[in-house]
Amino acid sequence: MAAVATSAYSSCIPANFLHSPLKITNQISSPPPLYISTNPSHVNPSHLQHLYALCNHSCHRFPKLDSDGRVELIDVSKLRTALSNSSVVVSVFTKPELANDLSSTAEVGTRSMGIGGNWIQRVMPVTPDNGKLVGFGRAVSDLGLTASIYDVMVIPSLQGRGIGRRIVQRIIRMLTGKGVYDISALCSEKEGLFFKACGFGEDILGSTTMMYTGTSSCPDAHQTAIYAGRKLLLSPPSRQ
Amino acid sequence: MKIGSVLSPPPASLSAAAAAHCRYPYGPWPHHPVLAVSHYHITAFMQQQQQLPARHAKMENRLPLSPHHILHTGCRNAKVSRLKAAFWESIRSGFMKNNTIQVTESPSTIQEEEEMLPDEFVLVEKTLPDGVVEQIVYSSGGDVDVYDLQALCDKNLICSLHKEKIVILDMHLGVLLAGWLAPETIVKASCCSKKQLHGSSIAFHKEICRRSDLAEGSADKKLIGMARATSDHAFNATIWDVLVDPSYQGQGLGKALIEKLIRTLLQRDIGNITLFADSQVVEFYENLGFEADPEGIKGMFWYPRY
Repeated sequence: MAAVATSAYSSCIPANFLHSPLKITNQISSPPPLYISTNPSHVNPSHLQHLYALCNHSCHRFPKLDSDGRVELIDVSKLRTALSNSSVVVSVFTKPELANDLSSTAEVGTRSMGIGGNWIQRVMPVTPDNGKLVGFGRAVSDLGLTASIYDVMVIPSLQGRGIGRRIVQRIIRMLTGKGVYDISALCSEKEGLFFKACGFGEDILGSTTMMYTGTSSCPDAHQTAIYAGRKLLLSPPSRQ
Repeated sequence: MKIGSVLSPPPASLSAAAAAHCRYPYGPWPHHPVLAVSHYHITAFMQQQQQLPARHAKMENRLPLSPHHILHTGCRNAKVSRLKAAFWESIRSGFMKNNTIQVTESPSTIQEEEEMLPDEFVLVEKTLPDGVVEQIVYSSGGDVDVYDLQALCDKNLICSLHKEKIVILDMHLGVLLAGWLAPETIVKASCCSKKQLHGSSIAFHKEICRRSDLAEGSADKKLIGMARATSDHAFNATIWDVLVDPSYQGQGLGKALIEKLIRTLLQRDIGNITLFADSQVVEFYENLGFEADPEGIKGMFWYPRY
């Protein structure tokens, strides 16, 4: 793992080459050529909806799972709202044929289209237009003090190659560039390990993370309630 | 948003004049059309008012012109949406000066887009011995004077605003609602910088003001509480800071503020409401319906290792 880390860091490109395609090489498996974009307009909401489904990621913290353990499809209009209100949106694209391939990139070359015909496909750079969305991450911030990272995901076939970490690093770089250093991320146990590897840790000030689960002490018949995944959140009772 | 696309920036001279009048402490939020539109509405309306006083006599009653009024009326967002509607009417009637045709297009569509309804109600009202009526008014959607907020922070000796972390997101960009901070969150003193509040223009605040109506009828508002939250307006919200003036603590203001905030968030179908609570206030939030570390969900923070 240390070898992966050092090679990943050694191929870090400085901030002024934000939109150029990156090639990360490591000893275990070389990830495909990527285009990491921080431009929210590169993200197509319906492609993003599909990505959420592929990664089985829900926007609700406690999602409703069907019999296969899959989360329900996310609302595209809500996604659009969320995107427009996110301060930082990072999207990762790669060549469509590589995204579906579970094998390493070396095997793609076997699909040759004639004598040396495949080299054009291989040298063509990835752009958001010709690439497939394979990774995503966003952060919501007040652009002054604080920020929260949400919905970092990479498609299952390309996981474990350092793409997720690059997404988080890009988000952090964008935020610190705007002067925001207090960056939080809400995560489950599994996600916690990922964020720990990205340089996150438990709050040194010892604060407790709390979420609203709507269990009020005095239930009221006229309370409004909404479903957030599988949790039914009750509105607090109105008092006079 | 169609409104934003049609409007063009006001002329430079006007904006300079308007800047003095406009009590918008944060300036237009560059990306959000609603905010930009509101800003332009205020300036453009003033211009129209001078040219066509007779036509707009009716509007004058509804729409406050002086910054004083804007600050003190509190039902600002109703006025903003009415301002927008009036703005369109005035633009249209301005173009058709010689035309006596009634403006038929109703501003109802504009009002529908304007989600925020003004929210102001009196929490507590009491009459002081000198005859002054003191009301503790809850308002959301009003402007908050940055310096008032700074004073409030100083009073509470709020230091690191990370300490009390409640996240509530507000859908109304550029509108700063003040809420209150829980008294227990006393940490090192820190001042709310203007920059921070500008960033919080996507934040949701509930404001508690002490309003004393003096004999002349003018209202004097004093900020006594604030709660701030940021959100993506669709799924997640995080409450960050909650402040209450120490002299008004212990009255249940903090609780009411957060409840109101949660209610508003749930109304907007925002399901993930998070906060990072200090150990002293965990119980406070548990009583409000928050659960600590639900199902193993934890909040992690970025600590760069150099």
